[in-house]
Amino acid sequence: MQAATMFLDGANAVLILMLVALGLAIVFGLMNVINLAHGEFLMLGAYVVLASGQAGLPFWAGLALAPAAVGLVGLVAEGLLIRHTYARLLDTILATWGLSMVLRQSMVILYGPGSYSVAAPDLGSVVVAGAPYPVYRLAIMAISLAAIAGTFALFFRTRFGLAARAAIADRAMASCLGIDTRRLDRWTFSIGAALAGLAGAAVAPLISVDPQAGLGWLVPAFLAILVGGLGSIAGPLVGAAGVGGLDSLVAALASPVWAQLVVFVAAILVIRLRPTGLVARPDREA
Amino acid sequence: MMPRRTVDLVGLAALAVFVALPTLAASWLLGDLAVYFAYAVLAVSLAFAWGHCGLLSLGHAVFFGIGAYAMGTLTLGMLPGLETIRSTWIGLAFAVVAAGGVAWSIGWFTFSGRGLHGAFFGIVTLALAVVFERLAINWDWIGGLNGLMNVPPIVLGLNGDGHELWEPVPVYYVMLGALAIVVAGLTVFQRSDWGLALAALRENELRARTLGYDTGAMKRRAYALSGSVAGLAGALFVVQFGFVSPSLIGFALSTEALIWVALGGRGELVAAALGVIALRLLEGQLSSRLDAWWPLVLGLIFMAVVVLLPRGVFGEAIHRLTRMRGI
Repeated sequence: MQAATMFLDGANAVLILMLVALGLAIVFGLMNVINLAHGEFLMLGAYVVLASGQAGLPFWAGLALAPAAVGLVGLVAEGLLIRHTYARLLDTILATWGLSMVLRQSMVILYGPGSYSVAAPDLGSVVVAGAPYPVYRLAIMAISLAAIAGTFALFFRTRFGLAARAAIADRAMASCLGIDTRRLDRWTFSIGAALAGLAGAAVAPLISVDPQAGLGWLVPAFLAILVGGLGSIAGPLVGAAGVGGLDSLVAALASPVWAQLVVFVAAILVIRLRPTGLVARPDREA
Repeated sequence: MMPRRTVDLVGLAALAVFVALPTLAASWLLGDLAVYFAYAVLAVSLAFAWGHCGLLSLGHAVFFGIGAYAMGTLTLGMLPGLETIRSTWIGLAFAVVAAGGVAWSIGWFTFSGRGLHGAFFGIVTLALAVVFERLAINWDWIGGLNGLMNVPPIVLGLNGDGHELWEPVPVYYVMLGALAIVVAGLTVFQRSDWGLALAALRENELRARTLGYDTGAMKRRAYALSGSVAGLAGALFVVQFGFVSPSLIGFALSTEALIWVALGGRGELVAAALGVIALRLLEGQLSSRLDAWWPLVLGLIFMAVVVLLPRGVFGEAIHRLTRMRGI
């Protein structure tokens, strides 16, 4: 394989992982909820694309529908389940694991345990450094970058973002100042779910869409946010770049099996040696 | 005289029922229950680490799997230099030591110095479960993806000779005895001074450390103890099942064990053990009737218990009984 193609594939993987990790990190950092159902939100996004394709809608309509639909699922899950486990950090792990079981099994019941493939929209290919490269993969990168930029704009350029960052810094104080943290929680969880749904929709043509599709993303995404650190919103992106980049590199040089082992062990070492993450604010512990 | 604790009475009552059961129950049920007792030992080891010591281990099947593989490789005569040793008893000891040793090493790595806490520890153990599963799948010496087959049952002789234990009733009593000894032993440990110090550590680690306890070493030892019990569970499982595969060591069984303990009750070892046995019996009844709906129903039950009964089903029952007795 050509170096340029390898680099582009690696960048693809990194950007998708950033999108997944960002949603996970917002929910963890802002609400103190460890969402083990995050992978299933991604899986649901892929199924939305599949279902809209079966209904005769064009691919792009499915891609636009996915974050909205999965965000709605997140909103409902927050109202029925997650909000009852606030302030019990470890119970959020259990509750969301139950949620992930229910979501996986719902897809088994609706679509069967088998896998589906989604056809990528035919955008042709361009020649990059002497080798043809599918335009759809470039489009995925653009979508990921746009979504990441949009999330940053939301958190750093809007009143909602200001309130959210106040709640991350000091929840009790933010609440005392009149910020409706209840409403903030609801929307945060929904946005986190929507980001996962978008990632799932974007990668749907590249993976086999089945009920287990989300599981493989969960641990890398968690490792990414712990490696990067929870103290800032840039942390998960740095962590995802490290985890995804190392994974692509070792997979290209050795094999995907070794890549997973090397990445997990390296991430565990980093988490152990720098529990506050690579991008840590010096003044507070994550 | 101080009245007996409710949890002890519940445990003894359950033990009496299980001891009497073979006179009534069909032998297939006893065979199933014997396997559930091995799972219950795993659940008890996790309830000890999580409920009593506050170490939420999301990868506890690692130790179960190591115990099962240790027992399998030894009794199959696969260990280089030890091919002639086929003893079930040495296999049990090997399983306990190997799993406990790995748990001690993980504890040493994660808890020494400024160690990992709570959720961080949980996610690291979850990642470790995936790593160990991958290693088991790719390690041809232990059978790779196919695992080890034809692992012998319990053999009463000193070195793999003598009477083989495979009839349902004796196996049932051996497993019940092992479970009862593990629960009783860990309960005594929990109520000793060491156990009390671990409970203090769970409630407030900083305070325990300030009072002069070496909390890192305490957590390491507690985790090693829990891991060795989980290894024993794996060995007890494999002598019945006769087959070890990488699925015993990884993500799936780890999360299943977590569900058992959360449903039964993490605060009491007896509750955790009863939880897995009840859930498995229920699953045997319902999974064939509900088919694909069973995991969905299980997920809903699980969510409801987490939200409504944080003590778990049996934990809550024991708590209410205690209040009714007014002690």
